[in-house]
Amino acid sequence: MLRVKDLTLAYGAEPVLEGVDITVEAGRFASLIGPSGSGKTSVLRAITGLQQPSAGAISLDVPATEVGFLFQDDALLPWRTARQNVALGLRIRGRSRKEAEARGEEWLAKLGLAGLGDRYPAQLSGGQRKRVAIAQVLALEPRFLLMDEPFASLDAIVRTRITQELIGWVEREHLTVLLVTHDLEEAIALSDLIYVLSQGPRARIRSSHAVDIPRPRDVVATRDHPRFSELLKNLWEELSAEASLEGVT
Amino acid sequence: MSLRLNTPPVRRTLVLTVLVLIWEACAWLGWIDPFYLPAPSAIAKVIFTLFADGEIWPHLEATFTAAIIGILGGLVIGIVLGFTAALLPVLAELLEPVMILLNAIPRVILAPLFVIWLGIDLGSKIALALILVVVLIFFAVYNGIKEVDHRLRERVLTLGGGTGVMIREVYVPSVTAWVLGNLKIAVGFAFTGAVVGEFVASSRGLGYLLQFAQSTYNAALTIALILLIMTFVMVLFALSERLERRLLRWRYR
Repeated sequence: MLRVKDLTLAYGAEPVLEGVDITVEAGRFASLIGPSGSGKTSVLRAITGLQQPSAGAISLDVPATEVGFLFQDDALLPWRTARQNVALGLRIRGRSRKEAEARGEEWLAKLGLAGLGDRYPAQLSGGQRKRVAIAQVLALEPRFLLMDEPFASLDAIVRTRITQELIGWVEREHLTVLLVTHDLEEAIALSDLIYVLSQGPRARIRSSHAVDIPRPRDVVATRDHPRFSELLKNLWEELSAEASLEGVT
Repeated sequence: MSLRLNTPPVRRTLVLTVLVLIWEACAWLGWIDPFYLPAPSAIAKVIFTLFADGEIWPHLEATFTAAIIGILGGLVIGIVLGFTAALLPVLAELLEPVMILLNAIPRVILAPLFVIWLGIDLGSKIALALILVVVLIFFAVYNGIKEVDHRLRERVLTLGGGTGVMIREVYVPSVTAWVLGNLKIAVGFAFTGAVVGEFVASSRGLGYLLQFAQSTYNAALTIALILLIMTFVMVLFALSERLERRLLRWRYR
């Protein structure tokens, strides 16, 4: 379980985030949405320890080795092959090169990249690189997954397919997830709970919404569920309100 | 199979050949004074003689020894200094201004000083080649480390990697790329250092021969030596390029 309590974070004088509270129960999928520039990414960076918070407490009852962080970009090591990139985390956890690379190859195959293990990132397409990055994180078999707009750079078809693969994995393995996204439909289709961050600076949690759509879910078919359009309308109105607030101030 | 003739290399060779032939013809017709510009055939003859009677070998040995020790030593010292300066701010504080100064001045002005300190033998030539290469590589490594992609650092951190992993997986490959990117320039610098050092004061080497040719107003020997040095540097460039392509193959699609 993840509990973020009263998180305040400042880069300069004025806090980006102020008093943010987020709770994600074990085995649940939560999303954090909000206007761009509101500090969504900063929340994840604070949780992973990449950013030191100014105040507040973050508790996570999962050991650091079981936390996976999927970045927005696909910053793979350019000088390592796809297989070596996937194996990197396992190598860091002390597996032998042979074992780590064998597992790396398995994960590449699971994500539809069989036979591409020897390619360098420069020799892969954007979608393929993204899948290598996902394989790199999933190969560690994390119990807790943090994702920062991991699919933002992908085209719609590839995006839907990768999202579906990922949601299938999350549901089967009962992973706990916190996803940061600006895509409302993606948030509704994937989550059990959605947190809405207000416009920054001094962004805080404005509201939270339970997504009571049964699982397992199909990313595309879920959109036809009556609750989907209702939630979408609510969230849209909230975010529009935040955006117009920005216009006033 | 049809031989492709209309390609840039073929066209270049063709134009060069025509120019050399015109030059030769002008010399034959007595239109140019061989005191200033000898015929290509005369220059070729000088080159042939240099090798045929073995006169060139000790000079080649001297220059190559200085240049190769200069480049290898320069790489090692430049990499070590760049790495430690990037990791130890205290050292960077001391080294950076010195390196900036050395980078700004034409470093060959140090040649006379090296002769006074180290004599007219190999030592002063190695020192000059070394200082030219060290400054170049120092900046390549130092800036390379400072500009390492922070996204890669964060990725390794979130995968649980410590300092050792960070150095092995992120820093060393980044620095290798920077150094290899500067390798060709370093080769040129090492030769400049060796030849200029010999030019200033020496008893052996291509620079010494060049100095001798100039003081005796021997244009044929001067041009022959310039062509020789160009050829050697081009060969080393080609080798550096192959090494670069091999080690940085991850860059290519």
